[in-house]
Amino acid sequence: MGNIVVIGPRLSGKTTYLAALSYLPALRSQKGKDNNFKIQPLNDESRDLAESAENILVEGATFESTKIAEGGVDSLPYYSFQLQVKKGLFKKIENIQLNVRDYPGEVFEKIADRNLSDEIHQEFIDECLMADVRGCLILFTHWEHGTDKFYYKVMSQFIKLMDEKQRTQNLKLAVVMSKCERGELWPGRIDPETDLFGIHLPRTKTILQDSINPKNLRFYALSTFGVLHKNDPRPNRIDQAGSNGSESVLREPNSWQPYNLIEPLYWLSKV
Amino acid sequence: MGVIYIGDRAAGKTHLALELANPQSHYVKVIAPDYQYIKSLLYDENLQKTKPTEAFKSVYDQYLNVRVQLPTGNKEINSYWLDTAGEIWRKNWQTENNSQWQEFLTKIRESEGILLVLPPYRQLVHDQFNREDFITQQQWCNRFQRWVDFFRYDCPKIRHLLLCLNKADLFCNLQQEANILGYIPNRSHFNWQQRNQYVYDRYFSPIHPQIRELNKSISGLSVKFFITSIYNRSLLELPWLYLGSFLSK
Repeated sequence: MGNIVVIGPRLSGKTTYLAALSYLPALRSQKGKDNNFKIQPLNDESRDLAESAENILVEGATFESTKIAEGGVDSLPYYSFQLQVKKGLFKKIENIQLNVRDYPGEVFEKIADRNLSDEIHQEFIDECLMADVRGCLILFTHWEHGTDKFYYKVMSQFIKLMDEKQRTQNLKLAVVMSKCERGELWPGRIDPETDLFGIHLPRTKTILQDSINPKNLRFYALSTFGVLHKNDPRPNRIDQAGSNGSESVLREPNSWQPYNLIEPLYWLSKV
Repeated sequence: MGVIYIGDRAAGKTHLALELANPQSHYVKVIAPDYQYIKSLLYDENLQKTKPTEAFKSVYDQYLNVRVQLPTGNKEINSYWLDTAGEIWRKNWQTENNSQWQEFLTKIRESEGILLVLPPYRQLVHDQFNREDFITQQQWCNRFQRWVDFFRYDCPKIRHLLLCLNKADLFCNLQQEANILGYIPNRSHFNWQQRNQYVYDRYFSPIHPQIRELNKSISGLSVKFFITSIYNRSLLELPWLYLGSFLSK
């Protein structure tokens, strides 16, 4: 059983990613496709999330941002999935149970502020770095000029906290560029370490590589919405004016084909 | 928690809520309380119109159990319908009735969704109606700016704000708009993004700058746009169907 936390700044698409993950069985069955991975929601919260994916994402709306309620970290949604993996024709099927906590982006961003020590932030750090957490899925979304500096600040502080909790050698980090359907990023998905992180977030990449054991660090590209078709790489999303500038909705639900949702989770869950 | 209706005097809030409870429904059904009960409470049979909400009862607090039919099946929104008297938005009323005003602010801050019911403005209303009965576009924009300030300063944590431009029968072809905007599970002509864009572009253009200001100043707020009328069930149900996707448990 692997405990995995999903963290990342505001609007990096954490909840939408998890919702797509819960909805994947329905999406696959509609398209009649099968592949090496199968994922099933296991608890009520992940099943509710699959319903929300259908009612909200498929209907052309967007999720609201995750906020910390009065109950602190314990009140945050906790999703449980069964991941079934079959790689190769004669390989045995692996069954992996994943438990994933979805944290609000604002707590993640606060890591950069070293002097800040509110209770929720402390709870968040404690829970992220607890001994039974196998790995962190870190979602980044911005790549424009200036963001590297901010992500670098957050990650150097996060590494310090890992060190304090003696987790630098035994916590896996899957560092992900999300929303890769965007035209500027889509071609970089093949080799995200070089073409996304190396080009757009070089300082962030370097600090991670310098501090984390290479076997515990990988860079990924993922896209929850995907592109319209393999021969039509236009993003399957529409940006509209909304909170914090703009929000994205699914453009053509019938063409919905997420990219690389499970690979990073699978890698994190492997011992 | 719950959903709250607010709006200016005579914007049609009470009638909108009463009609929502009408058993002749499509995909949104008020399960409790009963239509006849709500009608006896809000409708004046002699005058053939809704009773004005009394100012001394700044807020009508009424449990409302609404069932909405979403693509994944039926869901219930257990909420409190709070209808407010138009008077409470006047500064002198707020000063004179400070404790009631504070009580109302608490309720609105705790609510998950706000339906702000707006009347049409003079230039929008078809000329077969008496346009003099409606405020001018400029007055309408000024009034909306006061709403923006109210949300920014008095409830900066709201998540869902639904702007309902009411009395749509006075300014558009109801059936035509309902055909475009209407909701049919899994077979709708438009999705939420398209509906929203259509209504926003077509009916809310005078307040686009204020909407941008609102989006910029309240983080995490989602503002959506609707046209509503008691004479068209499809349009009347849309805000609830939208809210149902988010609020129903």
